[in-house]
Amino acid sequence: MTDESQPWTSRFRPRTLRDVADNERAVSQLLGWVRSWERGVPERRAAFLHGPPGVGKTSSVVAVANDLGFDLLEVNASDYRTRSRLDDLLGRAALQSVSVLGRRRMILLDELEGVSGREDQGGISAIADIVKETRSPVVLVATSAHEGGEEKFRPLRRISLLIEYGPVPFADVLGRLRAIAREVGVAVDEEALELISERSRGDVRSAINDLEAVARGRERVSAEDVTWLGERDRQEYTPDALMKMFSARALGDARQVLAASYIGYDDLFDWINENLPIVLDDPRDLAEGLDALALADIHQGRARRTQAYRLLKYMFNDMTGGVALSRRRSKGEGVPRQIRSALPRLGFPPSDFTVIEAPGGVVVRPVRHLGNDWGRVNSALRELGGTWMRGEGRWVVPYLRPPQIVWRYRRTWHSRRLLRSVAERVAERCHISSQEAVREVIPLLRVIFQGNRGMGEEIAGWLELEDKEAEWLSP
Amino acid sequence: MWAEKYRPQSLDEMVNQAEIVSRLKTFVAERNLPHLLFVGPPGVGKTTSILALARDLYGPGYGSFILELNASDERGIDVIREKVKNWAGIRAIASAAPFKILIMDEADSLTAPAQHALRRTMERYTRTCRFCLLGNYSENIIEPIQSRCSIFRFGPLGEGDIKDWIRIIASKEGVDMIEEGLDAIYQASRGDMRKAINLLQAAAASQGGAVDDVVVYSVLGRVSPQRVREMISLGLKGEFIEAREVLRGLLIDEGLAAEDVLRMIYSEVMRLGIPERWKVRLSDAVGEVDYRLTQGSRPEIQLSALLAKLALAGEEMGP
Repeated sequence: MTDESQPWTSRFRPRTLRDVADNERAVSQLLGWVRSWERGVPERRAAFLHGPPGVGKTSSVVAVANDLGFDLLEVNASDYRTRSRLDDLLGRAALQSVSVLGRRRMILLDELEGVSGREDQGGISAIADIVKETRSPVVLVATSAHEGGEEKFRPLRRISLLIEYGPVPFADVLGRLRAIAREVGVAVDEEALELISERSRGDVRSAINDLEAVARGRERVSAEDVTWLGERDRQEYTPDALMKMFSARALGDARQVLAASYIGYDDLFDWINENLPIVLDDPRDLAEGLDALALADIHQGRARRTQAYRLLKYMFNDMTGGVALSRRRSKGEGVPRQIRSALPRLGFPPSDFTVIEAPGGVVVRPVRHLGNDWGRVNSALRELGGTWMRGEGRWVVPYLRPPQIVWRYRRTWHSRRLLRSVAERVAERCHISSQEAVREVIPLLRVIFQGNRGMGEEIAGWLELEDKEAEWLSP
Repeated sequence: MWAEKYRPQSLDEMVNQAEIVSRLKTFVAERNLPHLLFVGPPGVGKTTSILALARDLYGPGYGSFILELNASDERGIDVIREKVKNWAGIRAIASAAPFKILIMDEADSLTAPAQHALRRTMERYTRTCRFCLLGNYSENIIEPIQSRCSIFRFGPLGEGDIKDWIRIIASKEGVDMIEEGLDAIYQASRGDMRKAINLLQAAAASQGGAVDDVVVYSVLGRVSPQRVREMISLGLKGEFIEAREVLRGLLIDEGLAAEDVLRMIYSEVMRLGIPERWKVRLSDAVGEVDYRLTQGSRPEIQLSALLAKLALAGEEMGP
């Protein structure tokens, strides 16, 4: 029943486990847990699926329910407002293990992060109560099991089986897109598919949305058609609001950014951190501004540890006003200056480019044909947050850029997971802590694995490393 | 790995820490043991001693009579208590001694309240279990625990201790050890035998021929302290954003703990060729961050703030 008018994300959503390709470990954990219900109510009556958006959390639940013959009762954020609403919806369903049609039932509580703030505490504890009594499997889904600080989901984490999902590897996103393009009969250039896959940063849903946006109703799509796609991250508002914050001369004005940026204060913190050294280009301002940000972090740390959330206002003052009012000597040449110093570092004379400060960002246009040098310039400018405008033959580098650290975490997700598992093996075999393994042993293991294959293999066998772990040590 | 391959299996094989070893041997002979507290710098034989003692006491199947925990890897004292309860609650049967041995490494990293909880646990299971706590500093162990343990202070290993053992391993592994290389290994190890052996193995692996000082330094150049040095010099030159990139690589890509990075920063700063009063000022800044790391929740921010202070210091000191 593929309806061609459906959005592609639902049209191509996996309906059975055979179509669920990623996060194998998480999916098999989920499957095992649902199967355990066949032998009676297990100790953990809920599974808590957490991981970044668009990596297949909900899809895998739908597929498991389909394959094992469960009726799925789905509840979304809008249903979480009050305890009584939840009880209405779920109270009865949870106590009966079969639906009216006599089929077994599974309950899916999606978008748990929609239960926001303190006023909904009733919501979390209502869910916890339901989980404690349920006769049907309950699946909880959220982007993070630690959303909104340690405390919020604690009652749920304690009674649930935690299952972690990670970003989908680049190659898998690419494969998915390729298959969809073939299915809908649009000829999409490989380069375009790669650009979309890369932009998705492991979020398959966003990749499929992007593909649909450029490809629906067309016969051919080239890389050029893709470049106009906007970066995600709800950025439309944040950079403008942040710009205002950095130029504020009064604490009250600077604090406006909290409301104007449309993102949570933790994300905002990352944005400020990312851009602070670009805006505060005088060393004294920079030291002062970062000190304010560091103090903001400390206020937050104290607020979390003592659960005295009134302390957060001091965090807000430091991270907005404290940072903004440190700007006293900076010339605000941030991005243009960075560009002007980055290009000569790569060995290009300034005359090779024109650099113009336009309202939307700094425009960099090569004066001569770059040939093979294009790639090096492109990666340098991309590091500054720039994008190559293919049809226009120029780069645009925004004055403020989204937090790179978030991307870095996503990009390195797989290798960090390998690092952790190797560290645990080393810790056990060498009688040290895994922190020590990371610090003292793994860097030397790298040297050994790269320098002497035989010795590396011997050690890998002794540590009982899996192949991918050994490969990670000797790329 | 050679550090494990050549770890002495029995107290008789231990060549260093002679006095401690001879006292531990009397415990084995009497088949009884007090609670133990081993303190001393890393890589001087604390873990080796207790493992060797356990093997001498219980024989080759000693593994089922000991439990090794690392305080810094366990999530909180409750987890530790639970593990101890499940393990120590069961009496040792068919063993050479009527008790088992729980080895708790990095015990000095536990907070004082956690140590009090540990002390209660120790008391509860004294009949069936002996505790051997390992740590770098006895000051960080609460007095009630110290008073319940026999304390053994492991002294640092001398140049001869390290060099002799490295020479033995090198010859057994067929490594051509050049005297200058041996000096470099000893200098870098700072008396830590495990570090010295690991370094020897990495140097031997990276070079087909002889291990001299050049090889050793090139291995050292590929490990973290070198990148920390690079980060500091970028910071001092005012290239803050680049310095921060290196920092993020260390924390995120390499997974180093912020405390470890800070420790490396400190030792690098102390070695900088800058006026002495600046060293004091920078030490002060490092100290402030060291404390703040325990207070905040984003280590990257605290360390970035330090880099910004370095950039400012670089500016004020001039070239």
